[in-house]
Amino acid sequence: MSASIAPECNDIKDKYDTCFLKWYSEKYLRGNTTSNDCDELFSKYKTCLNRVLKEKGIDSMLEDARKGNHENDTEHLRRS
Amino acid sequence: MKVFSSTCTFDYSWEEVSTANWRKYCPWNDKSTHVVAVDTLSRTVDSETGILRTERLITCDQSVPQWVLSLFGGSATSHVYEISYVDPKSKKVTMCSTNLTWSNVLNVQETVIYQPFSAKPNCTTNFHQEAKITALCGGWQKIKNKVEEASVERFSQNAKRGREGFEAVLEMSRRVFGEQRERENDRLQS
Repeated sequence: MSASIAPECNDIKDKYDTCFLKWYSEKYLRGNTTSNDCDELFSKYKTCLNRVLKEKGIDSMLEDARKGNHENDTEHLRRS
Repeated sequence: MKVFSSTCTFDYSWEEVSTANWRKYCPWNDKSTHVVAVDTLSRTVDSETGILRTERLITCDQSVPQWVLSLFGGSATSHVYEISYVDPKSKKVTMCSTNLTWSNVLNVQETVIYQPFSAKPNCTTNFHQEAKITALCGGWQKIKNKVEEASVERFSQNAKRGREGFEAVLEMSRRVFGEQRERENDRLQS
């Protein structure tokens, strides 16, 4: 797995990524799209990550980028 | 604006490619070393369509031409915001990326699509990549052109390395997955 921008989040990120990959290949791609096996790990990882994104000022850059992204959602979130 | 685009085919099923894609930048990929971190920001499944939407932050560290640094300042660490959509029914992965760093100087919009390759849809996957690169700095057209040209060149180098690195990840993923399955079969038999 790849590293986190915040070294202190690497452990929890690794656990979450492993969980997600297992869910993705064994459940999601096989049609079970509703399970939420990794939610708890993700929430811990996000708590760790968000603190660092704020410290580095990346959170505000992300906010700006999200504002320009509505078109992508409109285009790609519907059935093709 | 300059456009860079490339297409290639991987000899792996869409399921394998779309799974391995999540760890494209792991240590198995020794070519894309400019990517130093990949963080997931959000992840949701659309309840109506089943489409998986993921936001990620990609952190890159790479040498930037000195003249670019002296013109615009900044550091060699840059961030990319990526939003991706997986549609498991139509078997399509779409990834849209934009640069967060230097966004007042340069705008890079990249779209990557993975879909089963029509000739052999069960075992090969088509990869299509397109990037629109626009220099935003005011002033001389000459400088804008130079910035765009340098960016396209860097982009195409990274794309080539990215493909090679991803091939390695696909190969390792298949091997590890096969070994896992063997172990499980052994366990079931014993």
